[in-house]
Amino acid sequence: MAWKRICGADEVAENTVKKFDVDGIPILLVNYGEGYRAIPPICPHMEEPLEESGVIVRCVLTCTKHLWAWDLKTLEMKGETEKPLKTYKVKQEDGSVLANIEEELIYEFEDAEEEDDDFFK
Amino acid sequence: MKITVESKSGRRAFYCGAKETILNAGLRQGVNLPYECATGSCGTCRARVISGDVEVRWKDAPGGKKLKPEKGDVLMCQTRARSDCVLRVPSEISTRDENRPALRRGVIRNIRKLTSDVVHFDLHLSDPMDFEAGQFVVLETDELSGGRAYSMVNFDRAAARIAFVLKRKPSGGFSDWLFTRENVDLPVEVFGPLGRCIFRPEEGKNIVCIAGGSGIAGMMSILEHATRADHFSKYKGAVFFGVRTLADAFYLEALSGYVAASRGNLEVTIALSDETATTPAHPDHPSLKLASGMVHEVAARAIEDRYCNMIAYVAGPPIMVDGAIRALIVGGVPTLDIRYDKFS
Repeated sequence: MAWKRICGADEVAENTVKKFDVDGIPILLVNYGEGYRAIPPICPHMEEPLEESGVIVRCVLTCTKHLWAWDLKTLEMKGETEKPLKTYKVKQEDGSVLANIEEELIYEFEDAEEEDDDFFK
Repeated sequence: MKITVESKSGRRAFYCGAKETILNAGLRQGVNLPYECATGSCGTCRARVISGDVEVRWKDAPGGKKLKPEKGDVLMCQTRARSDCVLRVPSEISTRDENRPALRRGVIRNIRKLTSDVVHFDLHLSDPMDFEAGQFVVLETDELSGGRAYSMVNFDRAAARIAFVLKRKPSGGFSDWLFTRENVDLPVEVFGPLGRCIFRPEEGKNIVCIAGGSGIAGMMSILEHATRADHFSKYKGAVFFGVRTLADAFYLEALSGYVAASRGNLEVTIALSDETATTPAHPDHPSLKLASGMVHEVAARAIEDRYCNMIAYVAGPPIMVDGAIRALIVGGVPTLDIRYDKFS
């Protein structure tokens, strides 16, 4: 377990995202009003920087580049989205937002768990 | 050569000729490989070559910046097979039987200037082509390497003539080539139709079109189809056409014609980015509204309360398209009702 402070709870406004460097690991903190998500800073589709391309409306994060989108409460994929978001666990403590960072989460060309999931029929 | 593609939807196999790209080979045989621009800019058609020899024709294609060549990553739109190949594609692949793209020959005729840096041209096809309003084709000539994507301006079934608009760019190879030709038949190869930014009246929705510069091309096709299908007797339409100054706007007579035919249900606004609109309507085309500002901002303000039962079409330079998509999402338009065509 490695809970690390990302920022103060008031540093990321509602319905915005902000990128942080946490001990060399890039983290995008997403404030969707009803909570936070800490994710890798790129879209799993084409590696677009979500800091620029991400829009949050009614708890849904959409990448404006190719319209992949995720429900931030349930992490459900919306529309034509084909890959899930990877997330770090987050919690709030004493006015700070913390993320549980074991190692950097990276999107692979094909993720291992997808291949295990009977990827090629 | 036999190409086998492994995807989330299973394996698909198709034949690939020596001269065609793997993307075109799959698409013309009904294998819906992922793509957007089909010309090396976007990176959507990336794949990983697992086995076989391939030849990449445009190694520095901007859409390939994030690829890992050491792992065999390629853009299928820039890759030809040199042997049987197995590729992996990280997405779903469906198949289709109707309206498959194909390679045709054509000649360019009737090049005419619309503004100081925009021309209209016609392409007469060797075989007629069916396409949906909003689609594009890729044109290639023997004299210039690589393909260029252009959206059809007109709309017809079994079209023998397709029409395009082209903006002259400072270092645009194809536009320079076209601008310096005499008005004689210029032979080109045509691959298409392509693209998902399409209008079908049977979807039964209001339409909003946000276009920057020559991005108006596909919107003209959509308006032609919508007008012929009498779509605006039941549904509303709003078109926002972004140009720098009033002198840069074109197709104004045709746009006025669509407004007149719509019996009040179609609004067209010309948004001027580098000039202040001094009148509420175009001085020579009073049925066309004028506004000042970036077209996606003008559109966002105008349709703020009207995002209802609507499909939005967006085409133009990447910054404009991204801005328009952002405004539409913030306005609550579902992603499945936003269709875009980005060119660079």
